[in-house]
Amino acid sequence: MPAVQDTIDRVRKIDVDQYKYGFQTEIAMDKAPKGLSEDIIRFISAKKDEPSWMLEWRLEAYRRWLTLDEPTWARVHHPKIDFQDIYYYAAPKSTPGPTSLSDVDPELLKVYEKLGIPLREQEILAGVQKTDVSEFEEASDNVYKSGRVAVDAVFDSVSVVTTFKKELAQAGVIFCSISEAIREHPELVKKYLGSVVPTTDNYYATLNSAVFTDGSFVFVPKGVRCPMELSTYFRMNEKNTGQFERTLIIAEEGAYVSYLEGCTAPQRDENQLHAAVVELVALDDAEIKYSTVQNWYPGDAEGKGGIYNFVTKRGDCRGDRSKISWTQVETGSAITWKYPSCILRGDDSSGEFYSIAVSNGYQQVDSGTKMIHLGKNTSSRIISKGIAAGYSQNTYRGQVSAHRKATNARNFTNCDSLLIGDQCGAHTVPYMEAKNSTAQFEHEATTSKISEDQKFYVMQRGIPEEEAIALIVNGFVKDVIQQLPMEFAVEAQKLIGISLEGSVG
Amino acid sequence: MNMHTQPQRTPAETALIDAFGERLSLLPGDGAVMLKRDDAIETIKHGLPTRRIESWHYTDLRRLLNVVPDFDPAAAAKAIAPIVEGSAVLPVLNGVSSAKVPAIEGVTVQRLSEKLTDGSVAPGLDSYGADDAIGALNTAFVADGYFVDIADGTELQKPVELQNLQAGGQTHVRLLTRVGAGAKAVVVERQAGEGAALVSSVSQLVLGEGAEVTWLIVQEQPDTATHLAQFKAHLGKNTKLTLFVMNAGGKLVRQEIVVRTTGEGADFTLRGINLLAGDTHTDVTMVLDHAVPHTTSTEVIRNVVTGKARGVFQGRINVHQYAQKTNAKMACNTLLLSDDGEFSTKPELEIFADDVVCGHGATVTEIDHNHLFYLMARGIDEKTARGLLVKAFVAEVIEELDDEAIVEALETRLDDWFATHG
Repeated sequence: MPAVQDTIDRVRKIDVDQYKYGFQTEIAMDKAPKGLSEDIIRFISAKKDEPSWMLEWRLEAYRRWLTLDEPTWARVHHPKIDFQDIYYYAAPKSTPGPTSLSDVDPELLKVYEKLGIPLREQEILAGVQKTDVSEFEEASDNVYKSGRVAVDAVFDSVSVVTTFKKELAQAGVIFCSISEAIREHPELVKKYLGSVVPTTDNYYATLNSAVFTDGSFVFVPKGVRCPMELSTYFRMNEKNTGQFERTLIIAEEGAYVSYLEGCTAPQRDENQLHAAVVELVALDDAEIKYSTVQNWYPGDAEGKGGIYNFVTKRGDCRGDRSKISWTQVETGSAITWKYPSCILRGDDSSGEFYSIAVSNGYQQVDSGTKMIHLGKNTSSRIISKGIAAGYSQNTYRGQVSAHRKATNARNFTNCDSLLIGDQCGAHTVPYMEAKNSTAQFEHEATTSKISEDQKFYVMQRGIPEEEAIALIVNGFVKDVIQQLPMEFAVEAQKLIGISLEGSVG
Repeated sequence: MNMHTQPQRTPAETALIDAFGERLSLLPGDGAVMLKRDDAIETIKHGLPTRRIESWHYTDLRRLLNVVPDFDPAAAAKAIAPIVEGSAVLPVLNGVSSAKVPAIEGVTVQRLSEKLTDGSVAPGLDSYGADDAIGALNTAFVADGYFVDIADGTELQKPVELQNLQAGGQTHVRLLTRVGAGAKAVVVERQAGEGAALVSSVSQLVLGEGAEVTWLIVQEQPDTATHLAQFKAHLGKNTKLTLFVMNAGGKLVRQEIVVRTTGEGADFTLRGINLLAGDTHTDVTMVLDHAVPHTTSTEVIRNVVTGKARGVFQGRINVHQYAQKTNAKMACNTLLLSDDGEFSTKPELEIFADDVVCGHGATVTEIDHNHLFYLMARGIDEKTARGLLVKAFVAEVIEELDDEAIVEALETRLDDWFATHG
């Protein structure tokens, strides 16, 4: 059956021509020359004051990249990217590695204010900006109210500021830009960088390894529960630049961290490339929660402009009983090519993937996950909801595999898609590979699978069936979205109400 | 990754190309047919599909096909008893059709070699895409088969059984069937034999308005044979096709099912059981196109994997933009009974219409311990209990066919398999 009116209205509210982060800011920028070569990589490395091993690592990746071809298997179409027509390094001139907020260009702070990202930690704590606080209160239970979110703000190629560093350091948590980590904590970076996504992994990850400019680094030591939410906000501003960020999160034995990522970009007619790599490492009993609200500029209503978002995200449940959970809300980008994955290496480890992907206009989304079961008694859960409207194409592509020794591997996958209009397409491409007789995999792509018991419970209290279903589905989605801070939740909340009535597999 | 390399030909590819050169003068066909054969061998010359070709992701034919037997003119296969008594048998023995076939009222049977010679089947020899290796292989080498024409309004009382039997070497057979408007028929396609053969078999079926057909593919090749088969059907207005596929043999098996609804009200049902033992590699790949509005389909595939067997099911349902009100459901359930066995499944949906109901489900698991306990608590020993549960798991699919003679015949085949592999 076709989508219900309420859903159509909600999706319309976040259509491509409603993009409100499209403003651009005039800021004096320090740029490397256009194009990609070993010299540019040396330039970036020198700018970042990197040790020689890091430069070697980058150059090795670059040489490898030269031998590769762009992958073509994803269901996305775009003109060939001219990698020589991109600036690989662009940094606001006035920030040669600021250490405190007062060093940051006020223009930059204005950008983040406009985006609603709280960089002024003291002011929020002191409750100075009353107007803002009242806005925060609208979102009833969100974490910002207490101001307990540490933010790393990345502007084009560099991290401009990281908040709450001192307080985090007291708990033993390292939260800084990856450039700083390479200088200050080389032993940790050396040990873990590229250990989940090797430089040889895939075309865009290899490119990223060669030219990454900044990103966040998180290290939570043994037994520490990170005292606040950590977050990185990515902003692309400069024309013709590519953003290549690299994020590395390590949770040692028994540690816990929740990390959030948000991103926006100005409205431009030409396409911009964003090729990030995110690596998560969870040791014994550790848990990492990684949430994303991806809201890159999606292009205009005619499909002109927008970000190409080619991202490699992977978590390694290296230790026993470790857990990695991915949550993503995808509304932006002209093209999304992204498969946050979990390698369930440790015994009894578990992986989760929750995704809501909405595509409008001429957006193309090819997203999903991989759950690779290697250890014993591992479990994974995939919930994916895709909504396609306009002329967009929305693909779920996921792989679940149990290797020979992965006894008692369990997986549950549910992916639903909804089409609004007859010019768009929804595609589901799940791969299931079982090489172990004790594996138990379930994949379903229907909407009728809401538990009859739950439905009965709600309806028995006098709520009509359709509302009951909406309530149950919303309850589930809310669970995911409540984990996100308000700024991110603004987009997400518009989606909460989408109950996916009329969805197809 | 995607390095630029021009791979060398494998021995199998070389053998096929060489065999084409040798066989060419013996192959029937007019100019048009021979041109199609040339095109087809060009496809083979570009290399057999590897796992880089998405539709061959789990069956790397280039790697798996390592021995290509020579054509064996001395091989002599014998016709076998049909699965349903009283069926009209049309045998193809070692790739050669019979000149004397039983007369069936309302049905015209012609040898395909004649239709190739006069060129009338040339248009049907086109492959459906770049990854259609089976179609290309068959087009290049096909020498015989049947053309069966069931006249409008004919209601066959007994099944027609097409037997494709081999006794080693290579056989390449095509079975073309046209079922006229309003006609009703049950067709059994038997694929069996003995020896280390390479078999390619393509069945093409066209249903006229309102025709109803039950088509059974019973594949029981020996564990030395490579069996590459295709079933292609076009479903016209208000037609009903029930396709039943049973794979219970073969070393390397790929059964492709390509179905397209071309008329409103068409209904397609697929039921399949794959019984995998030894070190077989069996792949069932379905591509179903809902190309017009108001068509329905359901697919249920049940797999039992034992020994070192590897099984694959890929099912893609394409719902075209104008195919509103499509109702399509697909399920693939697998019982993995051994630690060395493996099963991979890829149920895809490609949907371009917004007012449709489509769903798919897939499960892979071992026998439910509660079920086992239930039976064993009643004094049934574990082996028998397991046997009962596995059989019930696949028999469920057979019982859905509402033709008693067919159900009985298939259950016999099932019992035979369990007797040897259970």
